[in-house]
Amino acid sequence: MNLTLDSKVIIQGFSEFISPTHIAQMKAYGTNLLAAVNPGFSGQKIHALPVFDLVEEVVIKFGKIDITLIGVHPYQVLDAALEAIAANIRQIIIISAGVPPLDMVRLFREAESREILVVGPNSSGIIVPGKILLGTQPQEFYAPGGVGIVSRSSTLTYEVAWELTKAGLGQSISVGIGSDAVVGSSFLQWLQILDEDDATEAIVLVGQPGGGSEEAAAQYIAEAIDKPVIAYVAGRYANSTKHMSETRTSLATIVGRSANFGTAESKLLAFQAAGVPVAERPSEIPELLRIRV
Amino acid sequence: MDLLEYQVKEWFGKMGIPVLPSQRIDHPTDLKHLKISYPIVLKSQVHASDREKAGGVRIVETTIDAIAAAQSIFNLSIWGELPEVLLAEAKYDALEKLYLAVVLDTALCRPVLLGSREPNSDGESWGDKMQYVVVEKEFSPFYARRLVLKMGIQGTLMQSISDVVEKMYQLFIQADLDLVEINPLAINAHGQVMALNGKVKVNERAINRHPEIAKIAVKVAGRQHRNHKNNYMNSVLGSWDSLEMLGKIGILSYGAGSLLATLDLVTKAGGEPGVCLNLRHSFLADITPTTFCQRLEKGLNILTTNKIMQVILINFVGTVPQVDQIPEVIARFMLPHQQESKDSKTKHDAYLPRLVVRLGGAEFNHTRKYLAGLKISHESLIVVENLDIAVEEATRLAQLPGLKK
Repeated sequence: MNLTLDSKVIIQGFSEFISPTHIAQMKAYGTNLLAAVNPGFSGQKIHALPVFDLVEEVVIKFGKIDITLIGVHPYQVLDAALEAIAANIRQIIIISAGVPPLDMVRLFREAESREILVVGPNSSGIIVPGKILLGTQPQEFYAPGGVGIVSRSSTLTYEVAWELTKAGLGQSISVGIGSDAVVGSSFLQWLQILDEDDATEAIVLVGQPGGGSEEAAAQYIAEAIDKPVIAYVAGRYANSTKHMSETRTSLATIVGRSANFGTAESKLLAFQAAGVPVAERPSEIPELLRIRV
Repeated sequence: MDLLEYQVKEWFGKMGIPVLPSQRIDHPTDLKHLKISYPIVLKSQVHASDREKAGGVRIVETTIDAIAAAQSIFNLSIWGELPEVLLAEAKYDALEKLYLAVVLDTALCRPVLLGSREPNSDGESWGDKMQYVVVEKEFSPFYARRLVLKMGIQGTLMQSISDVVEKMYQLFIQADLDLVEINPLAINAHGQVMALNGKVKVNERAINRHPEIAKIAVKVAGRQHRNHKNNYMNSVLGSWDSLEMLGKIGILSYGAGSLLATLDLVTKAGGEPGVCLNLRHSFLADITPTTFCQRLEKGLNILTTNKIMQVILINFVGTVPQVDQIPEVIARFMLPHQQESKDSKTKHDAYLPRLVVRLGGAEFNHTRKYLAGLKISHESLIVVENLDIAVEEATRLAQLPGLKK
């Protein structure tokens, strides 16, 4: 992640996932939000942002763009991301939720071969409290400080931040990596970033059922992270058989994974095995952090 | 969303995957006009995978036998599901049977090709005999050949099976599938291959960009609705954003994580979660785009229709779309119920869930104020900002006697 106060940011598309409030909030926060791309509306202003038909037109006008926030309809996300890549934008945050996963597979193949960072889809974005806001996280729940948050769930990202702020624990950086079944940037990438970040003293990781990224994170924490980490996993009491994301990974046993792959239980066991304390509820996280720091 | 076998085979046929001559049977008398020759196999078109054991598949030699068998299959409920259609299919003499599949692995974020010489999925060791190939980059037929060779098949048979895998992959991409499976793929004495049975799972997020599939989704939803007359939820559940648990406390949230966290907190507090819906996405049966407030309204109605739900716990934090319209939706939901409760001894089994609304953050200031001003009787609407308190209140209210009108 290459993020500074001067990073040039654009928005692609306006759907229900990015509201005027979010845009006003980002501008008020000082984010260098320059323009929006919304085909067919060029020359207009939407929510006080100049609008262009193509990303490349924005680049001609403002020079190289560092970050794009994608908020188009989920079926247009792939196209918007490919357009951003073609305009040489190397950091893509996808706010839109419900992108068909095979579109994302295509995007990941493209992004990985060019080492482009894709955060999301279904991400609430990134906030460095007091400095920069990229996405839909409500800034009111944040205060500058030393706790880094990385979360799959959008809402829980700021639910947790709010608990920390109420308890007097500020945050260094908070990122929602996305709640959809397939997402770009992983827990591992962000744990590494937070571990190297000087402002971050402790890390909170928020997981949910589906996939195996929490298990991989637990192993990585045990092997490579020296900073204190607290985990919280939502969904331990959900009857997982009904949860579609479980049946979607039913091939788990075939490729040599355990039968409870993808369940909250499997994730909790992984954190236990890695010696990572697990909070029972969001409001318990500040207490666990205080014990560890 | 799972398709039925006859739909799967229509798709296979269009893709050039070999399937047997078959005919859709809507009524036993359709068998009088059969275009395929006996002996035939009659197959119940239900989703259950063990329909054969349950008696949903019969081999028949004559029209009389066929009509009798069809009548009994039409009346045979398998795991609670009655077939609306049967499939009549030519019989095939298989020398060997295989398993083939293409599936999206959400952990690897890549499609995976699967194949096994053992089509039977009952055995515990099935997974051990399964071969797989991850389609890392853009698909090319060599991935399919790699799979088939790993299965230990060579020569012309390798060619014809990898050709089938390639077509399965094309279908997988074209129709936005989570899974396409041939089980079994039969090989006859002449080395010809035939897909005897197949399964297709369409990704629910992608349904609406395929008009043909969207039509099927509407039918599926309607069918589930009819089959569960007392339980409308079944037509929206099945979507991965909802959970059907058996408790009295229904939950509405914006975001899957929030939904699951609320469910956990309710359980920890000694409450029993019931139907839980994530309002971030449209429901399975919605084929036209929906707004957040439409989903909120529908969610409230779905939970109210379910007679077990005594409390609805809404959890919104930070930011939701259309925040200024939420008061109206909640008021519209509460007020008619309130009025009915005054003047209705006539409504025999009317029912009113209590509402606990957790609204976290400044964006909801207006909504909180508005709801506080509504003239609604005590303990049928509670608005709080703190999640733990909201959960306590919901759990407490669920223990009170139900509000009968």
